[in-house]
Amino acid sequence: MSQTNPESLAERVKAIPGGEMLMMCFSCGTCTSKCMIQEKLEPNYNPRRLIREAVFNYKEEAFADETTWLCSACDLCYPACPQKIHISGVITVIKQLAVAEGKQTPYQTAKVDEATCVACGLCVSVCPYEAISLVEKKVAFRGLIPVASVDPGKCMACGMCSAACRSTSIRLTEDFNDQQLIEDLWTWLERKTI
Amino acid sequence: MTAKAKIALFQCRWCLFSPADQEWVDTQLPENIHLTKTPCTGKINPLYLLNAIQGGADGIMISGCLPEQCHFKTGNLAARRQLEEFNDFLHYIGYEKERVHFLWLDLQDRGIIQKELAAFEAELEAMGSTQHLATRVMRAEGGENA
Amino acid sequence: MVDAARQPLIEIKAFTDVEKVEGFVGNFKVTLREKAKYVRADRCNGCNACSLACPVEVPNYFEMNLSSRKAAYVPMSQSVPLIYTIDMDACIHCYKCVEACGSLQAIDFGMQDKVTEEDIGAIVVATGFSHFDPTPMMEYGYGHFPNVITAMEMERLNNSAGPTRGSLIRPSDNVKPKRLAIINCVGSRDKRYIQSCSNFCCMYAIKNALLLKQAIPDIDISIYYIDIRTPSKGYEEFYDRAREAGIKFVQGRPAEITEDPETHQLFIKSEDITLGRVVEHEYDMVMLNQAAIPQPDQNHMSSVLNVAQSPGGWFMEYHPKLRPMDSPTDGIFFAGACQGPKDIPASVAQGSAAAARASRILHSDTWQIEPTVAVVWPDRCVSGKGQACGICDRACPYGAINYEKGSAAEVVTAKCHGCGACVGECPHDAVTQLHFTDAQVLSQIRTLLAVEPEKKILAFRCQWCSYGGADLAGTSHFEYSANERGLRVMCSARMDADLIFEAFRLGAGAILYSGCHPQDCHYITGQVAGAKRASRLEKMFERMGMSPGRFRTEWISAAEGDKYARVINEMQATLDEIPMEELKSEIERLKPEMEKKLSKLNQIPGVEEALIQVDFIVNEMLGKAVSA
Repeated sequence: MSQTNPESLAERVKAIPGGEMLMMCFSCGTCTSKCMIQEKLEPNYNPRRLIREAVFNYKEEAFADETTWLCSACDLCYPACPQKIHISGVITVIKQLAVAEGKQTPYQTAKVDEATCVACGLCVSVCPYEAISLVEKKVAFRGLIPVASVDPGKCMACGMCSAACRSTSIRLTEDFNDQQLIEDLWTWLERKTI
Repeated sequence: MTAKAKIALFQCRWCLFSPADQEWVDTQLPENIHLTKTPCTGKINPLYLLNAIQGGADGIMISGCLPEQCHFKTGNLAARRQLEEFNDFLHYIGYEKERVHFLWLDLQDRGIIQKELAAFEAELEAMGSTQHLATRVMRAEGGENA
Repeated sequence: MVDAARQPLIEIKAFTDVEKVEGFVGNFKVTLREKAKYVRADRCNGCNACSLACPVEVPNYFEMNLSSRKAAYVPMSQSVPLIYTIDMDACIHCYKCVEACGSLQAIDFGMQDKVTEEDIGAIVVATGFSHFDPTPMMEYGYGHFPNVITAMEMERLNNSAGPTRGSLIRPSDNVKPKRLAIINCVGSRDKRYIQSCSNFCCMYAIKNALLLKQAIPDIDISIYYIDIRTPSKGYEEFYDRAREAGIKFVQGRPAEITEDPETHQLFIKSEDITLGRVVEHEYDMVMLNQAAIPQPDQNHMSSVLNVAQSPGGWFMEYHPKLRPMDSPTDGIFFAGACQGPKDIPASVAQGSAAAARASRILHSDTWQIEPTVAVVWPDRCVSGKGQACGICDRACPYGAINYEKGSAAEVVTAKCHGCGACVGECPHDAVTQLHFTDAQVLSQIRTLLAVEPEKKILAFRCQWCSYGGADLAGTSHFEYSANERGLRVMCSARMDADLIFEAFRLGAGAILYSGCHPQDCHYITGQVAGAKRASRLEKMFERMGMSPGRFRTEWISAAEGDKYARVINEMQATLDEIPMEELKSEIERLKPEMEKKLSKLNQIPGVEEALIQVDFIVNEMLGKAVSA
């Protein structure tokens, strides 16, 4: 049976801390209804389904599932789960396995402008996902200097780094980029007919 | 004051659990309120607030999630630290503290944001308009981005 | 109930607490406290005049506090016996009730609690169950949103004798609800609260939905569930009927109920698993189908009756399959949900079975018990010589030992269940257990370890769990090391330290000390005594410098055949890792230490003779084997 094969996705997930409780899920759907991603961001998001995919060894589906990449580990579902499964822990484990197999998040992540970054480390300390680190890097016109670097496997695009950055060197470039937000704000402020 | 108070609403996209409230904020906001949706209150850069004040906003409302309900673990906590501090600075330069309103919402809250916005608007109208920090020259009048 | 009250051989003692139960099967002495009702039972005719006259109103517990009652009251109009009670916590002593009662003179404010002791032959416990209070589940907002009610409150609202005379209204505005949701598994099947399934709530939800649908045909009812469980005869058909009647079933446990603060309308957000997406529906009213939990005073009753409790807190039966209505104490029986959540048919069946069991006792002059009882050798008991001891008394889970300093301890045979905890604990080897005497068990050990003892794994198994586990491993053909030698005793509490020392003295390679999981012990707390002793032994052997793993403690249930096989195989692997020469020298090195502990072994009556005989027989057999 697939469950007893140590190469199966379920066994691999269970072997990593955080994924132990995978098989305890009885598919009640509480996590999905507690989570707001399905409603606000991605209608195809479903932690319960991802757990089923892992249990039944649908590896490709699981790695390609939106749920794998969009869970931000807010842990609203954890205290709600009647089986006390740390669902975001399970999802994080699946994501780790996906990253280890070379998969990348299809969603946006924060980008560093290396031309202006001064490596002050504010973004490193503010990031809730420990996705940012300072690395020595050769930057055009600046030589070998330390700059911030974002790990796309960990970044959830919350934008806290961009709010903390004092030199506007790190930001979200697609949805919610600073320029667009401020532009919209100005369009409204300039309207006379309020 | 005849015109309605101008309110810049900064909202974290997760803080309204009920779909009806989100629907209202997305589509039925009155014209004097501008919604800026962010992935998280932690994304709200103090620069946004400054821009709004420079452009003549009478009040700023920031709505986000309660602690431990943040979609990004600690984003709301970072926002509290940063923005409440920044609010002290705004007060120092003459933008009254009451003009910046924080609204931290619980999952089970329903219909709160409409009420809070109405109450805030009334409060601002009572306080009157503030324009002395609206320093920026508008594009229509040959401002920088024109 | 009325029939029972009319039957001359049945006496109902209402408003009475059981304070103490002593004695044993057929001869219980039960202390009862009949609480003062302040109304004389021989005069009250149930006319209700006192209640009408009473000016005090307090919340009516029977109506789930949805209405009020007077300080002079009966819990419900169908109460049997129909005798009023005055609630002294609420009474303001205006004595209007005395006036109202008039010439009947039934009200007596001088009444006191009456404590009596009665001779009882058999006891049937039917204390029922209680309900989980969903207030801690903030997500459902019970106690916070007025229109979220519990199943019991619904029961009262929908009852023609209830506070609304049977018309269902929602609490916030007294309007008839048009849309009703029922949420199943509130608190049950939930590791945060009650882990188990409450057995009857699925059917209960369907029953309520159908009743409401009959009363209010245009009501829209949805039942949110994780699984619908309809396991008994006719139940699935009932479920069919509900669907036919138009009741909607939503598979998906709701995560959150939110409320419109103006209209008190409720919104349930749940994943509709069949659709695979999250849906939010609006309801006028939500009923939470709470978990069944043991009575709040179940722990107290368990200590009064001296019967064990299962993990969930329910009373523990003698055997879950074969004797579900018997308690482990002879003469005490269970009926209904005090032993575990069950529905009406199951409760009736169990009650009838318990009554039949009890009547067997009442109709016999003698009673057979298990023969494996403990016996004290009075001349060996130090208590008889004036020393303070009482270890056996403390070890006995049933209170079957009478200990008094100055006279030898005595076992009350009728109360003894034969676990052997006293035998295992007695430091002076003054107690023995029939059929498991030291001589008998030591003889077995000697026989099992007669040949190449250093290769053997001696497994002490308790009769009820680990022996069953080993049995299951055998019948399931789980392979485990052939060097295992099993030895059965009644309980891990009987596994005397002397027996372990003797086995190691004889050179046993490894010893498994196994019994039930703590909550499964057949003898209430026998396993606890055994576990304490095992951990003491483990530390002692570690100090002696014994290789780790040679003495192992494992709790294996009768259903864990695979675990039994795995443990034995692991022990074999540990043993294999120790080179034979090293093992032999370790055994030799530890031998004097073991002998020191066993210096008094041969003084136990019967042991020396038995061992001489065993040695003789074993040698004979081995001699034959060698010569043939």
